[in-house]
Amino acid sequence: MTYVFQFGIVFDRFGELLEGAWLTVQLAAMALALGMAVALTCAYLRTAGPKPLRMLVVAYVEAVRNTPFLVQLYIVFFSLPQLGVRFEANQAALVAMVVNFGAYATEIVRAGIQSVPVGQIEVGRALGLKRFQIYRLIVLFPAIKAVFPALASQFVLLLLGSSVVAAISAKELTAIANTLQSTTFRAFEVYIVVAAMYLAIAVGFRAFFAAVYWFVFARGRER
Amino acid sequence: MKFVTRLLAAATAACLLLGLGIGQADAQVLDRIMKEKKIRITAQVDSAPFGILDKNNKPTGSEIETARQIAKDLGVELELVQVSGPQRIPALLSDRADLAISSLSITTDRAKTVWFASPHGALSIVIGGAKSVNIKSAADLAGKKIGMTRATLEEQEVPKIAPPGTNIVFFDEHAATQQALLTGQIDAIGCAAFLINDLAKKAPDKGIETKFTVATAFYAVAVKPGNYDLLQWVNTWVFVNKLNGVLAKIYEQNTGVKLVDLPTL
Repeated sequence: MTYVFQFGIVFDRFGELLEGAWLTVQLAAMALALGMAVALTCAYLRTAGPKPLRMLVVAYVEAVRNTPFLVQLYIVFFSLPQLGVRFEANQAALVAMVVNFGAYATEIVRAGIQSVPVGQIEVGRALGLKRFQIYRLIVLFPAIKAVFPALASQFVLLLLGSSVVAAISAKELTAIANTLQSTTFRAFEVYIVVAAMYLAIAVGFRAFFAAVYWFVFARGRER
Repeated sequence: MKFVTRLLAAATAACLLLGLGIGQADAQVLDRIMKEKKIRITAQVDSAPFGILDKNNKPTGSEIETARQIAKDLGVELELVQVSGPQRIPALLSDRADLAISSLSITTDRAKTVWFASPHGALSIVIGGAKSVNIKSAADLAGKKIGMTRATLEEQEVPKIAPPGTNIVFFDEHAATQQALLTGQIDAIGCAAFLINDLAKKAPDKGIETKFTVATAFYAVAVKPGNYDLLQWVNTWVFVNKLNGVLAKIYEQNTGVKLVDLPTL
């Protein structure tokens, strides 16, 4: 092999890559928060809501889960402006990520809800709790606990999948890497460094999730 | 000892003769073309409007028409050697083609491996946008969002002239960049001049127009180094057809934009 590695070129412009990485982290964190809000609402409607709303949630989840993320992104960025709804590139990326993660998380949370034994819900009814109270006080906690690892995995997929928002000119990590690559022609060095940065971000979020699990679900509950 | 000296002398003479023979063969490419009544020219058919395939899958475009005109003026048959962009120079060096005529921009790097004739065409990078967007010169780009495609000439040229405060954004494909302009996601586009005409035709209601020219690259016919006779003939051909307007006609018919004044190499 005669290829000479020149990482100097990449580290000269490391600041730009860090800015891109920061935007990736921000997008992912915001998509996580907003997507979970979407998921908790939709999962409730899906399991306990009136029939029309239930159908609507099913339609949303299936539409998103059976279309490519890139196409969803293009619809938000290129199609919605023609209807008068205009998002900047970064906002469009966030909207698409929330919609996408929300749908997958809805399905995961729904599975968690349905894993809660019927007996517990019946107890709630016997105590005279309202439907939403049963959801909030009895069902939600064990449901999320049961599917927490699946949610964390889905989130990491979203984080890594966010690399495609470079296609609509959002200046996140992959976009910066593509520009760096096409101006320095150092594809190997650029993408190796960027892969390491994604790895670090993903490991960081996984540690965050492990900590959340520990504090919320596991601590003081071992018997 | 005497025998060894003689052997060496004979070997040297043989090498010299062989070397001369090869040199002569190279210097007589034009003779060979005239004798075989056939010239082989590269054809890149994935770069509209320079080279594309028409409805009947026949190569066409400004560079293909140039190749046809050259074969016609030589009075020989044309054999098109299909190449992709990166194969244009290797096809020449490996003797698969006698001439490379595939919008090969003249650069000092390329001149290390091939010989360029005088340019016969130009590729301008321009800033384009809707009539309502007020851009007259580079200074007006400040505060505007300019979109372009990665790994293109515009990616190299536009940042050089953009004042501080210009928001340059990149897309991965020409289609996405153009769509961003048409949907108003960017204020202006940096692209090849002929693309603006294309956009204006595709979306007449948007009023897309050329704002100003950023840079112009000239492209030329290239030959394998050493082919003096062929290069000399091509230079003569470019000279004659520049004066009689044939070059301008081919260019304008295929690209839809006027050919700028061509400098001489």
